[in-house]
Amino acid sequence: MNAEMDLVDFAVDQARSKGATYAEARYEKQDPENFILKNGVLDALYVGHDQGIGVRVLVNGALGFAATNSLSKDGVRAIVDDAIKIAKASRRKTKITFAQEDSIAMNWSVPESKKLADVSVEEKIAEIQGVDRDVMQLGFKIAARFFNLSDNRIRKFFANSEGSRIESYSPRLRVFYFLTVVEGAGVEQTSRNYGWSGGWEGISTWGLSDRVVEEARSMHRSLTEGKKSPEGKMDLVAGPQVAGIASHESCGHPTEADRVLGREAAQAGKSFIPPDGLGMRVGSELVTVVDDPTVEHAIAYYLTDDEGVKARRRYLYKEGRVTEFLQNRETAAALGTHSNGASRAVNYNVEAIVRMANTFVEPKDHTLEELLEDVKFGVYMKSFMEWNIDDKRYNAKYAGREAYLIEDGEVKHPVRNTIVELTTPAFWSAVDAVGKDLDFEAGFCGKSDPGQALDASMGGPPIRLRNVHLR
Amino acid sequence: MEDVASRIVDKAIALGCQDAVADVVENRSYQIRFARNEAVISNQWRESNASVFVVHGKRVVASDVRDLSKTDEAVERLVKIAKTSQANPDYAGIAKGPFRYARTRPDPKVLSLHEGGKYVEAAVGGALDQGAKECAGSFWKYEDEHFLATSNGAEGHDHRASLYLSIRALVSLESSGHGIACASKLSQFQPEKAGQKAGRIAALARTPKPAKAGRYTVLFDPLIFGSLTDQVGGRLSAWAVLAGLSPFGKKIGKRVASSQLTLYDDGSADSIARKRFDAEGVPTRRNLLVNKGILKTYLHNTSTAKKFKTKTTGNAGLVAPDSHAVFVKPGDRSRDEIFSEVKDGLWLTNTWYTRYQSYVTGDLSTIPRDGIFHIRNGDVVEAWKDIRVTDNLLHLMKNIVALSDEAEQMMWWGEVSVPNFVPYALIKDVGITTSNQ
Repeated sequence: MNAEMDLVDFAVDQARSKGATYAEARYEKQDPENFILKNGVLDALYVGHDQGIGVRVLVNGALGFAATNSLSKDGVRAIVDDAIKIAKASRRKTKITFAQEDSIAMNWSVPESKKLADVSVEEKIAEIQGVDRDVMQLGFKIAARFFNLSDNRIRKFFANSEGSRIESYSPRLRVFYFLTVVEGAGVEQTSRNYGWSGGWEGISTWGLSDRVVEEARSMHRSLTEGKKSPEGKMDLVAGPQVAGIASHESCGHPTEADRVLGREAAQAGKSFIPPDGLGMRVGSELVTVVDDPTVEHAIAYYLTDDEGVKARRRYLYKEGRVTEFLQNRETAAALGTHSNGASRAVNYNVEAIVRMANTFVEPKDHTLEELLEDVKFGVYMKSFMEWNIDDKRYNAKYAGREAYLIEDGEVKHPVRNTIVELTTPAFWSAVDAVGKDLDFEAGFCGKSDPGQALDASMGGPPIRLRNVHLR
Repeated sequence: MEDVASRIVDKAIALGCQDAVADVVENRSYQIRFARNEAVISNQWRESNASVFVVHGKRVVASDVRDLSKTDEAVERLVKIAKTSQANPDYAGIAKGPFRYARTRPDPKVLSLHEGGKYVEAAVGGALDQGAKECAGSFWKYEDEHFLATSNGAEGHDHRASLYLSIRALVSLESSGHGIACASKLSQFQPEKAGQKAGRIAALARTPKPAKAGRYTVLFDPLIFGSLTDQVGGRLSAWAVLAGLSPFGKKIGKRVASSQLTLYDDGSADSIARKRFDAEGVPTRRNLLVNKGILKTYLHNTSTAKKFKTKTTGNAGLVAPDSHAVFVKPGDRSRDEIFSEVKDGLWLTNTWYTRYQSYVTGDLSTIPRDGIFHIRNGDVVEAWKDIRVTDNLLHLMKNIVALSDEAEQMMWWGEVSVPNFVPYALIKDVGITTSNQ
């Protein structure tokens, strides 16, 4: 037994004794470290030591949540009182209930071959400076370089009034970079994001220097050789980065049950999929999109969610139809089903809500070359820069960063600012072939109020869309 | 808590740091989130932490220290880490104090407010009265207390409290409106009015039609215009300019907007984010950023100011300067007069998901949400849906043709990150695109 779990148990016991029909407590300790290397200069190093406890109670069918970083019994007693009091004040007409789930006793952790805590600041800085040096040797003007290396070690203790008691440890590593390449009056900008659950060994899995150098070269080539992107109906081969963002934005978000039920309506929005929308056709039979927290080393890896429910793979779209919503216990009860372990919080001081984890297009059997060789005229959009989607997740836009013209199955010159602006069904219904080589990028997914920018990853193999309008 | 801030700074200096700042913050905020016309969760926070900034041999380390009973150990750890970090040659120190600060106090009626249910009910009731069927949003009582000390002699205390409500009203999935209520005084807090506005727009947006792409004269409601001016404020941070994240680089003294636009940042003025001092302890003040369309200054801390050979504007954050609150000088025409000027155009009421293809050029798109209206001869002729503003930040600012004579305080989830005091804005030649399939 340790002090943190004692405090968590104490919080749950207190809440039950004061009238909560359900109570849970979550202690989190986070040790984030990050720095920005801006134009070759270390801007600042940020080191955090964050810990606290949050308590959520269900009283008279209403939810109250309170949090503190005062880790004493008096501090916990105070937030339990707060949570009970504000829940009672809610005066809901309809009662919130939770789906019944198995209670769990579990202790899980993500292994680290080389512990993040053992890696010195010097080594981390040197790694990124090496990448920065490599990219500066390319011999063309890179007007701005911005690298952000961040890691975090997240330890959690969770207990609820139904007997679940879970301890977990999750180390995470992330690199974000942003480049500006200038040639004459032309400017190209890019940002990329890589993530890893595990130790420092993750840094070598990305081939970061090669990726950044290749990206910078492609930016320069776009500026010097790029032509206007063709406009009209044609085929599109979308690379893993584009397939990934589309799976996140137009498959993952619209299947979040809290959106479907309107709980996020004033912030992240609602969904074009109605509560009775399971079975709706949204794409071709080749489209299967999954969300899976159990993908090893993906940045949103976890085995239990922040309501103490076991994580599992979720099939959001299967063979082109909506098959499953992402659920927590509250939404599952409202929809008459069970949670599928999608409830997460960014830290101890906010409630857990329905979130994606690692969302991707399920690979099939084509190589990239096979996808390309069957295209008479079209565009290969390898990556994007600008993107957005409406709040019902129906109208999306992806603006190409690295893209090429395809003619008679061959990749030709770069094309600039290719725009894909399509509805969700139009995008996914046009898919006629799915590649086999899966690749991921990391991202921050924003939702809730107060905002919770949470670790997520997204990916896919390259996919081919037939006869879509590009400009 | 003053003692805690001073102790942290003293410890850092004793350990050889050249500069140190500690801002001890106690957060006692309270929130109700609501959806489907009633509360879905209520939240209460009791937190304290110290935002700490230490510099050892130009090696800059920032941190948040949560355990205020062990600040000595935390500072020792930070200084040890700083010694293994690298110097930032651009670091130019922190502002020299001591300073005198304005004597502002939070409204006692806001401080003593511990239950927000009636404000949620007022907002929801206001929206339902206008014809809305479903409402969602948040009510906030923000309260935090700051105790700041710096190694250059600044010492400050700032107790901040304000009220905020955001409500989205829906008649259906595609017919919605949004309203905002912000106040630092309880007597000025108008949640019902925010609900009425959201409900009125939602009702007007019934049965929206597919839109036609093109270039339009667009009347921007304060909420969506605030999203654009928030972009301007954020991109005017000198740090953003240096990082290649701004279209305002090398444009000081040049035209960046039409002569209609005069815009300033002012953390000292009454707003829900009013503050006495910035992260270096410099008193906040009014800074003219754009005067009749001409860019006057970026937002600075001491280090960026030195780089640009100017003085700090009192906009320091822990590492990078940022805007406190953006104010647009109102125009001289009433809202109704500006509406009447729109012969064939659009009225947009809200937006989200603003993203750039290039921060340097300012090429961006943003997706209007809630009421989108086609206007002819000053009257709404029909509601539209599913559009995107695809344009350029500088182009939009340069094409402002009129501003209304009253500014409203706007702040909203993600899009309007700090209070923006904005009127209605009429902008010509705005690019509107739609999904092609």
